[in-house]
Amino acid sequence: MQTRFLLLPVAALTISVPAQATVYLSVAQAQALMFPGQTLSAAPLTLTDAQAAQIEDRSGVNVLSRQLHAWKASDGGWFIADQVVGKHEFIPIALAIDGHGAVKDIEILEYREAYGDEVRNPLWRGQFTGKTAAAKLQLTGDIQNISGATLSCKHITDGVRRLLVTYEIALASH
Amino acid sequence: MKSRWPVIERAKPLLGTTVHIRVGGLDQPRAHAAIDAGFAAVCAVQAAMSFHDPQSEVSRLNRMAHLGAVAVSPHTYAVLARAAAIADKSNGAFDITTAPALVARGHLPRPQGAPEPDPYASGHDIILLPGHYVRFARPLWIDLGGIAKGYAVDSAIDALRRFQPRQAVVNAGGDLRVFGPACERIGLDREDGDPAVVELADGALASSAARRNGPHIGCSEPGFVSVAAPSCADADALTKVVLALGRQAAACLSAFAAHAFTAAPHRDWQTIGA
Repeated sequence: MQTRFLLLPVAALTISVPAQATVYLSVAQAQALMFPGQTLSAAPLTLTDAQAAQIEDRSGVNVLSRQLHAWKASDGGWFIADQVVGKHEFIPIALAIDGHGAVKDIEILEYREAYGDEVRNPLWRGQFTGKTAAAKLQLTGDIQNISGATLSCKHITDGVRRLLVTYEIALASH
Repeated sequence: MKSRWPVIERAKPLLGTTVHIRVGGLDQPRAHAAIDAGFAAVCAVQAAMSFHDPQSEVSRLNRMAHLGAVAVSPHTYAVLARAAAIADKSNGAFDITTAPALVARGHLPRPQGAPEPDPYASGHDIILLPGHYVRFARPLWIDLGGIAKGYAVDSAIDALRRFQPRQAVVNAGGDLRVFGPACERIGLDREDGDPAVVELADGALASSAARRNGPHIGCSEPGFVSVAAPSCADADALTKVVLALGRQAAACLSAFAAHAFTAAPHRDWQTIGA
């Protein structure tokens, strides 16, 4: 194990650049991973006012978009691509439901949570002072990993609960 | 991660947080198979050790181990053994038997079907027997939340390595482990002072931030701690030792080849055990 500790100078914190999203999977890639070898048929639909109200009531989670991006799998399962509200941003997720209406798998399609904006931004350049070295170091690469206060995934599990209720109300009978 | 290698990353909600797995140097099908294996390893640890899941081995121990020896998986047994070693070297500052206090403060739910814990019970009442059997000498509640997330990360790295990636990082909500020849840069996301960056190769880093009346029992004062150690299970557990003991944790950190970066609110960073 090797470690080196670098302190970021206060001056660097005044630079504000938008955090970039990291794309993990496209919808097609997620479908191939979550339903390998199966045929998925697009079955998009628009929720009615009544359905949206019912979903909010039963899940306790707000319905922010009436558009449901759903695909039915040949084994009776369903694939839904949706967004959940994170701490700072919307997070696109994919949910796979099996033929019995239970969660089969969840994938995060893109990660945008910019906690520690200044630290995470890959475009950022700054001057660093090593802990013991007198010379200033130039950071030319990315900081691709964050360690800090643990963020709960409750926003994702709340979103999944909303989508399971959405499945029961709008998709299960298809 | 070096851009000359293909790099593939995925994330799922697990362990109560978001778990990211990133691999470099494998083509897409092999990378996804490796990442699938990594997530499966995390799920297995979660299923065995979750305090919240009544079907987990931890829940089964809390319900029954005071009545007689209970068989557990090698994973759970290994974590209990490691927790005992860290408790010993930290003179009890790391303690997996604080669940009753956490339940009383509302940080954990009451375990279903478990007996009232003996108020005098401690880690010494957890008896590890041959054949991966565990017995409690008194009724007590164990909570592996201070070490299991790190162990899940180690487990995922072990699963990933069988696919021979050039580089891999598993990050479970800030508890992370790096495998491979390259250094990874890790931003230490502290809310109340200058952020810092740790460059880490072939090791693990875990961070904890303690607040007053927060879930860290025995924490001496609010602050932010990051521990670098060869394994993520050790790094995870040792953050609690440093939160409790501050500079007095130096000997314990050294015993596990670890060191810590700490910061009190609005104060400068310090290192312990380096």
